[in-house]
Amino acid sequence: MSEAPFVRIEGLTRRYGAVRAVEDVSLDIARGELFCLLGGSGCGKSTLLRMLAGFETPTAGRVVIDGRDMAGVAPHARDTNMMFQSYALFPHMSVARNVGYGLRRAGLSRHDTAARVDEMLDLVQMAPLARRKPDQLSGGQRQRVALARALARRPKLLLLDEPLGALDRKLREETQLELKKIQSSTGVTFVVVTHDQEEAMILGDRLGVMRDGRIEQVGTPVEVYEHPRSRFVAGFIGTANLLDGTIAEDARDHARIACPEAGLDIHVGHTVAGAKGEAVCVVLRPEKIALGAQAEGLPNRVEGRVEQVVYNGNLSMFHVSLPSGTRLRAARANTVRGVDAPGPGEAVTLGWPGSAAVVLPA
Amino acid sequence: MRRLVALAPLLWLGLFFLAPFAVLLKISLSEPAIAQPPYLPLAEWADGIATVTLNLGNYIFLGEDPLYLLSYLSSARIAAVSTLITLLIGYPMAYVIARARPGRQGVLLMLVILPFWTSFLLRVYAWIGILKGNGILNNLLLWLGLIDAPLVLIQTELAVHLGIVYTYLPFMILPLYASLSRLDGALLEAAADLGARPLTTFATVTLPLSRPGIVAGSMLVFIPAVGEYVIPALLGGPDTLMIGSVLWNEFFLNRDWPVASAVAIVMVVVLALPIAVLRRAQGGDA
Repeated sequence: MSEAPFVRIEGLTRRYGAVRAVEDVSLDIARGELFCLLGGSGCGKSTLLRMLAGFETPTAGRVVIDGRDMAGVAPHARDTNMMFQSYALFPHMSVARNVGYGLRRAGLSRHDTAARVDEMLDLVQMAPLARRKPDQLSGGQRQRVALARALARRPKLLLLDEPLGALDRKLREETQLELKKIQSSTGVTFVVVTHDQEEAMILGDRLGVMRDGRIEQVGTPVEVYEHPRSRFVAGFIGTANLLDGTIAEDARDHARIACPEAGLDIHVGHTVAGAKGEAVCVVLRPEKIALGAQAEGLPNRVEGRVEQVVYNGNLSMFHVSLPSGTRLRAARANTVRGVDAPGPGEAVTLGWPGSAAVVLPA
Repeated sequence: MRRLVALAPLLWLGLFFLAPFAVLLKISLSEPAIAQPPYLPLAEWADGIATVTLNLGNYIFLGEDPLYLLSYLSSARIAAVSTLITLLIGYPMAYVIARARPGRQGVLLMLVILPFWTSFLLRVYAWIGILKGNGILNNLLLWLGLIDAPLVLIQTELAVHLGIVYTYLPFMILPLYASLSRLDGALLEAAADLGARPLTTFATVTLPLSRPGIVAGSMLVFIPAVGEYVIPALLGGPDTLMIGSVLWNEFFLNRDWPVASAVAIVMVVVLALPIAVLRRAQGGDA
């Protein structure tokens, strides 16, 4: 990145007494980016967002937005807007007045406000309901009004706290794509907080995975999923088989990890960081493990017994126990209808290529 | 069972409001007499024929003597001013209580209700001790050198306002607290986030959303204050004209029950009107 980052977060820390809500977070966000903060409840993602909005004062560190240090700048004086998890729509105002609230505060005339409100309501397809009160709207409609209200002032930075958390699954999937579309058409930089890893991967240009107030990993969805940098990230994003082992051989083009848990030396098609004999953790995604005939000819092969098959429609998840007692999960896409799949109790061969495993320090 | 529960308030209203109201209405339509009770019956049985005499003279009398109209107006004015002062003092108090930590809110509410543990009459008498010529307040001001001669505080309209505000403050604070504590903090943050300064947030979000509390609290203060008798009798002067004293005088000094009843009936009707208007205003909000 040659130009200065649009949002720069440096050593940001927020403590409540002895509780460390956010601890030494440093992060750069580019202009026009959709950045997702992902983590479980209590990981500090909302506190981080509220510090960007100005509702929380950092204990240490600083936030710079578009070259301006935000220290001591009150929420009402910031070029940021927030979409609240509860939407926080004013119950005594119509949809149009809710959307226009920030515009009136910015000193826009009644006429200009009305024009911008119409534009915003068109954007979120809520124009026909402009005169309704929030309690006359469905959850999905309220979500749209909240988005229109937050976007109306054309903020430099839009902060979204679990924007789709209150919607049901079907509506959520539709809205995810729409949100992404609105983000790219308006060009506003978005920071989205979510606990849903699937949503973060769909929405985010990049994501930051948080745990205990710290950022564990920042990267594109592909980077974070395919190359998790810690055991926590590997387990938090998607499903992963985590195996303990030690480095048995590290050559220039491959490595071998001794893994008594799996009952074999795992062949890895790349060099690994660490000395021979060092303990490591091997991450294996279920969809990268082949079953039965498809496992033939792969460098890593183990025999096991199917314990359980979870049919998921598009794919089936096979829970296989190895002779050592370890359970591996292998997924197979149900591309052909009626194809023979091993059932519970049957013996099965699992196999994976040298590119499948990610080796992490234990 | 559910029906019985719904019936209970109706029964209560019927027994303690409608029935006495009907009795009052009956007396107000009869003629005074020197008898026991001091009025003539409305209906008479004579030779198997019932004759009902409705006497509207008491109401006409109320319109003829300006004393009554002046008393009504003066009562309404004193009650209105007191209600406004109570609102201005009670709102910040309710706001602070509603925004306090949950554990503290209970303590603060307790303090608001604490005066009820002492008799109302005693507390009003205590104000006489504070306000009188050589009372606590005058002595304090003299000692501080702020005044040279005692102020005339007792038996003034000011003292009546003071008494009403003091007595009815909890009735204002409690409904205000109820509506302010329901106010979602996220709404205040949303207003600030959208560029509203604290005062604008208050005017555009907090105040409109606490309107039900303001209306309820104002009614709870205004209505009893209009008919207040004890406070003006103890703290007010001879020129403090309130309908409560007029009513008392008609009943106990003049023993003119019919006119006194007419005074009471007119007061109920006059009070019911603004209540209906306010209720409509509140209903439109919901």
